[in-house]
Amino acid sequence: MNRTLITTTVATFGLMASAAYAETEITWWHGMGGHLGDVVNQIAEGFNESQSDYTITPVFKGSYEETLTGAIAAFRAGEQPNIVQVFDAGAATVIGAQGATIPVQDLLEQNGADFDIEDYIAGVRYFYADSDGKMIGMPFNSSSPVLYYNEDALAKAGVDAPATYEDFEDIAPALKEAGYIPMVQTHLPWEFVENFHSRHNLPFATNNNGYDGADGTQILINSPEMAMHFTKVKEWLDAGLFGFFGTSWDDNKAHFLDQSAAMYIGSSGDFGGLTAMDLPFKWASTYLPYWSEITPEGYQTFIGGASLFAMAGHPEEENAATAAFFEYLTSPEVQYMWHRETGYVPITTAAYEMAKEDGHYDRFPAAETGIKQLMLQSGENTAGYRMGFYVQIRDVENRELSKFLNGETSVEDALSTIEAEGNELLGRFSQTTTN
Amino acid sequence: MKRAGFDNRWLPMLLLIPQLSIICLFFYWPAWQALRSSFYLEDPFGLGETFVGLKNYTRLWDSSQYMKNAWFTVWFATLVTFFSLAIALLLAVKADTVLRGARTYRTLLMWVYAVAPPVAGFIALIVFNQRWGPLTEFFAQFGWQMKIRLDYFDTAFAMIVASVWKQVPVNFIFFLSGLQSIPRSVREAALIDNRSGLSRFWTVTFPLLAPTGFFLLIINITYSLFDTFGMIDTILRNNPGDQPVTLVYQVYLDGFRGQDIGGSSAQSVVLMVLVLALTIFQFRLVERRIHYT
Amino acid sequence: MAELSQTPLPPEQARAASLERRAARPRPFRWGEAVNHIVLIAGALFMIAPLLMLVQMSTVPDAEIMRTGPSFAIGDRLGPNLDKALFGSMSYSGETTGINMFRNSMILGLGFAIGKIIIAMMAAYAIVYFRLRFATLAFWLIFTTLLLPLEVRIVPSYEITQKLGLLNTWTGLIVPLIASATATFFFRQFFLSVPEELVEAARIDGAGPVRFFLDILVPLSRTMIAAMFIIMFVYGWNQYLWPTMVSTEEGKFTLVQGIKQITQGLEGGHIPEFGRSNLLAILAVLPPVLVVIFLQRWFVKGLTESDK
Repeated sequence: MNRTLITTTVATFGLMASAAYAETEITWWHGMGGHLGDVVNQIAEGFNESQSDYTITPVFKGSYEETLTGAIAAFRAGEQPNIVQVFDAGAATVIGAQGATIPVQDLLEQNGADFDIEDYIAGVRYFYADSDGKMIGMPFNSSSPVLYYNEDALAKAGVDAPATYEDFEDIAPALKEAGYIPMVQTHLPWEFVENFHSRHNLPFATNNNGYDGADGTQILINSPEMAMHFTKVKEWLDAGLFGFFGTSWDDNKAHFLDQSAAMYIGSSGDFGGLTAMDLPFKWASTYLPYWSEITPEGYQTFIGGASLFAMAGHPEEENAATAAFFEYLTSPEVQYMWHRETGYVPITTAAYEMAKEDGHYDRFPAAETGIKQLMLQSGENTAGYRMGFYVQIRDVENRELSKFLNGETSVEDALSTIEAEGNELLGRFSQTTTN
Repeated sequence: MKRAGFDNRWLPMLLLIPQLSIICLFFYWPAWQALRSSFYLEDPFGLGETFVGLKNYTRLWDSSQYMKNAWFTVWFATLVTFFSLAIALLLAVKADTVLRGARTYRTLLMWVYAVAPPVAGFIALIVFNQRWGPLTEFFAQFGWQMKIRLDYFDTAFAMIVASVWKQVPVNFIFFLSGLQSIPRSVREAALIDNRSGLSRFWTVTFPLLAPTGFFLLIINITYSLFDTFGMIDTILRNNPGDQPVTLVYQVYLDGFRGQDIGGSSAQSVVLMVLVLALTIFQFRLVERRIHYT
Repeated sequence: MAELSQTPLPPEQARAASLERRAARPRPFRWGEAVNHIVLIAGALFMIAPLLMLVQMSTVPDAEIMRTGPSFAIGDRLGPNLDKALFGSMSYSGETTGINMFRNSMILGLGFAIGKIIIAMMAAYAIVYFRLRFATLAFWLIFTTLLLPLEVRIVPSYEITQKLGLLNTWTGLIVPLIASATATFFFRQFFLSVPEELVEAARIDGAGPVRFFLDILVPLSRTMIAAMFIIMFVYGWNQYLWPTMVSTEEGKFTLVQGIKQITQGLEGGHIPEFGRSNLLAILAVLPPVLVVIFLQRWFVKGLTESDK
């Protein structure tokens, strides 16, 4: 009987002890497939092993769109995850919904973490912030558009990589002579529209690029600069100095890979895949070109990719867990690991410094281009943009610009159509956020 | 139609409850939500909304893009239906007349039915790849440079081929079974009266296959309208650009991807009405056939 | 003018008899026959070639596929890719191996097929064999579910599923899919074509509706059930969007979800693991194909009998 008593007592104490140490569990919904998903899992494991108060479980919820819709449906049903990954074009929907998320800055400060926005690289600071500069979403997988070039091809033509589009016009004929399509690009809206505005510090939308609110925001795409740029692109296309192969990223990039194109505009994150493919030629990257006639020096670019949002409606302990995770995520070691494994830019200067000290950029010079570009000079219009229904607006941009490049419409009609349909969509969006 | 039956009052209701309750919960409630949403512009999180009346509907009428997609949907459905039926019929007739290897051919021709739509789309992307796709190279021999996802027509062509590829097996089985159930006496009479295979086909076989054919017609139209969703999604990979889009896919783009609840609900209501008309048409037609045979 | 024949058989039968004799004799090579075979072989190739292509692509390194696409070269990567596909997991929990996803797709396919058939048969039985005043209404209520595909009503469906506490459960994955009319319609067709004398006979024998259903109607419907089983199994097996929304645990992922997760790396800088996803795709095709092949006889018979 004594033994029973002892066993029971020990068991009870054991139960009480484990109850006291019950870990707070949080969930993270993301849309990272393939290798990226593996690194996400690595980060989660690292966090879980680094402490014993919290456990995070990442769940792959499909594409970016499926993840967002899943999170929204879950929110309506009261089953939302703690952290959700939201892509750039969907950010306006999430931020515009008052009360759906807790701003990351608030979350961190409320839970006693130091938060200084200056710790973050200039170009990433304000994209997911509000008009007062408070960070609402935490940039997670960010990239910047850069120009990759085939060094062998350029050497063969006897030219250097261009810094401006004027430079490009100078060197393109030689490249064509040498048997290449001088340049292709992979994403018309991101590279030739959104980041065009940032690189030249041109306003992209009214209301401070949309940050001041959705009410009355209009898109400013129908500008002389845009018309000039696209007219030039079409001229290059017709003269064989530029190649356009549809709206698919891969279809265009493929021409660089098989050496029919000498340069391509892509993402700073591409270099990982390029390295892995062991290409039979030397390549390097440089900044996205700009027109020196519009601005003498180029500005920083917007970031692309996705960010993490903390969803509202969770108890205090879970919010504390979320804050702890964000702290872990933004630590230099983790940022450096993420940057190294995936090619996305590290979001803090500390991580960047760590990578430099580790000699990462000696091994992979192309990895640094994106970060350095995000640290170029900033202007009033380089923080980012916030437009609702931007996914649909991007579709309109893709559609009209494709038609224009295919010769089915004029540049004036294309830009006016984008403007008209874009503004109609923005007007509709502002009505959805009215309470 | 007075049929013999049973007189219980409660049993039938009991039997119907599972199906009806599932339908009420998972069809009528969501359908009602969609109808209601179509008159509002709402924030997807459910935190705010504005009543806009018929605006979500009228803008469709004004949108040239919507009309273009509607036209494409009609063309797409027509072409996929026509070719899936025609090719399947041809293969079924051949398989019916061939004595040796009928069973092998049947097996080989049937399995594609089970391929998941995203996989079918993936295969289309490989086969029609701009630079190294086997079919792209094949057509290049004839001077046709296929550029899918750049050229509207080329992409439409690829979508139609992939859809037909997936649908032929089902039609094939129906047609073959229909052919093989034609009584022997009829076949023999046909042999006597018509020396040419072609005339035999048109005067005897085709009319006997008509019931099956009509039924398949409607099934194929439904397939091309709704079930090609996964395949189109994979081919366009969320970047439609200036490429062909069916009306159902547009609903997905605006609702699921663009979070425009009001706009996509209005589109789905319009689709509902159209398919309702189609369903009534199907119902009437098939009902008549049942009485015929 | 019909030919006069010397035999006592009437002319038509004589002709038929002579044709039959001709058919029975070993026939010389005929072009018509060859053309038939050519057409059929072409058709079979059209169907089979893509599958072979997928297999070839999983034997070579993924980077090569990005560059050159499919070719006739057979590489040596089949083994490693197969291993990754079956046993490699992409999820945090380590549970999305090919084998697990296969099991999950199987549960979804079987669960959906069986659930749908039972419920549809009951509903069709109720509508056809009972003098219900609202039978037509019930039928149309069921029938109109063809109007709105799942993709369009997915968010409200999700809300209901959550309210019933069915999120991330097998029930929640399967039951909402049953809200569609196809099988009910087919069974109604079939029951309408069953001779009424059977019911009369059963009533005379004193059998009640339940006995009639279980002892007579169900066995009679064997072929229809097999046919429906194949169609519904494939439907459940290939579901993607609904499982993606409703599963919040990677352990429940189906094969199709796994394939999408791999190929999602397609946009962007990294090389997706084509070899692995192609093998998963082939794995995804096998069970429905095997089901179709083995139940082929019933499948063919089942579908055509309802046309009568």
